[in-house]
Amino acid sequence: MSEQHPPRRPYHTPLTGSWWLKHRYYRLYMLREATVLPLLFFCGCLIAGFYSLQQGETSWLNWLSFMAQPWVMALNALTLAASLFHAKTFFELFPRVMPLLPAPLMIAGQWLATLAVATLLLLLLGGLL
Amino acid sequence: MEKTVEKTLVIQRYNPEHDQTPSQQSYQVPFDNSTSVLDALLYIQQSLDPSLAFRWSCRMAICGSCSVMVNGIPKLGCKTFLREYSGDLLLEPLAHFATEKDLVSDMTLFLQHLQAVKPYLIRQEQSAATTPASKPQPHKQTPKQLAKYRKFSSCINCGLCYAACPQFGLNPEFLGPAALTLAQRYNLDSRDQGKAERMPQLNGKNGVWGCTFVGFCSDVCPKHLDPAAAVNQGKVASATDFVIGLFKP
Amino acid sequence: MNQPKRSDEPIWWALFSAGGVCFAVVVPGLLLTVALLYPLGLLPENTLNYQQVQQWLLKDWWGLAGLALAGAAICLPLFHAMHRIHHGLHDLKLSSGLMGKVICYSSASLLSALALYFWWQGLG
Repeated sequence: MSEQHPPRRPYHTPLTGSWWLKHRYYRLYMLREATVLPLLFFCGCLIAGFYSLQQGETSWLNWLSFMAQPWVMALNALTLAASLFHAKTFFELFPRVMPLLPAPLMIAGQWLATLAVATLLLLLLGGLL
Repeated sequence: MEKTVEKTLVIQRYNPEHDQTPSQQSYQVPFDNSTSVLDALLYIQQSLDPSLAFRWSCRMAICGSCSVMVNGIPKLGCKTFLREYSGDLLLEPLAHFATEKDLVSDMTLFLQHLQAVKPYLIRQEQSAATTPASKPQPHKQTPKQLAKYRKFSSCINCGLCYAACPQFGLNPEFLGPAALTLAQRYNLDSRDQGKAERMPQLNGKNGVWGCTFVGFCSDVCPKHLDPAAAVNQGKVASATDFVIGLFKP
Repeated sequence: MNQPKRSDEPIWWALFSAGGVCFAVVVPGLLLTVALLYPLGLLPENTLNYQQVQQWLLKDWWGLAGLALAGAAICLPLFHAMHRIHHGLHDLKLSSGLMGKVICYSSASLLSALALYFWWQGLG
């Protein structure tokens, strides 16, 4: 009881906003989170599409030519890449959150769903349905 | 036979008695294929610098004491080998915790968070008092019931997942991966009746909802028990509890 | 020990998850066809003509296909996106308060309402 200990003086450095730059794992996490930025652009495009559809034919044609502008197509190509990266991460996380079936089966099933929607839209817009 | 191969270990030093901020110190350590980071630290303490402070005990990845950052990644010193690194090794105390001295972290918050989720079997038993004639019975469990929580039950409380979790780093009130995994482990145990006592902690913003599934905790876990999955299964449990709560007065 | 207050996060997490499924399952196919192959001229031009799209989205089946499209490709993905932005602002230490949360989820709600309003207008 008589022994004198020096006072504790723990040293602590709080995280700064740039913590995620330090490791590849964190950078990939931030990339995953950032996939929603191009998604917002595409959502904006679709809202504009619904607007022009109820405005009339001229407006609809304007929207179609807007969607064909090179910078819009470039941004949407980026959005497609983002959506596929998001899909990869999301499909792999899902079986860990809800382990209903063996993980590889659940992951394959989800990719199949994405493929089915794309195929359906291709057939429909390809004039084959 | 003489050991001739040496490696440089750069170690973060901090002495609360006279340092204002931590500094780095280099040591040359002879090593072979079987030299772990913990072996190297013990060599430094015994042969080069007796003032170096670090925690250790079992040397076989069971006690969870020798956690340090090796080149910025949380590791168990006893389970990490010098041969795995081509260049120098930078050793620092666990990230997101305060440093007491050198490689010794202040684990108080971690222990408080573990305690908050009541990580032990809770039974609602009155029968022993009312019927003294009946002997206490063992709680039987089928292999299927055991399998439900077993993968979450091998936590050694090493704290590596907290050093990997930026959400704990950003918000020290967040209960964190190990505590939430333990909560899930006991909630899934067929012998346990304490889920109702644990859920309020999980339901709060510092419970399961403090997690954004970064997932690095599962990557660094030396026992591979996937804390990120446990925490996010806890989100499903908490969301279910939320819906049930809507229909209760 | 004090019991922490129950978080309202389950609501936002449910919307986030549903939106995440849509973003992963519905959005890629839509981007590929409507936003890339069609503008490149690789699909027949008449499939996206005004009358055809009106028929599909606003006339057939009381316009339910249009509602489903607005929900799966606009509203739910918006909640998904604003949830990630809300938490991202916290991660970057740019905002951690109620303000960021209110701005994120109310903008998702407003834009969703706008999309649904245009769909409704198109029905009439």
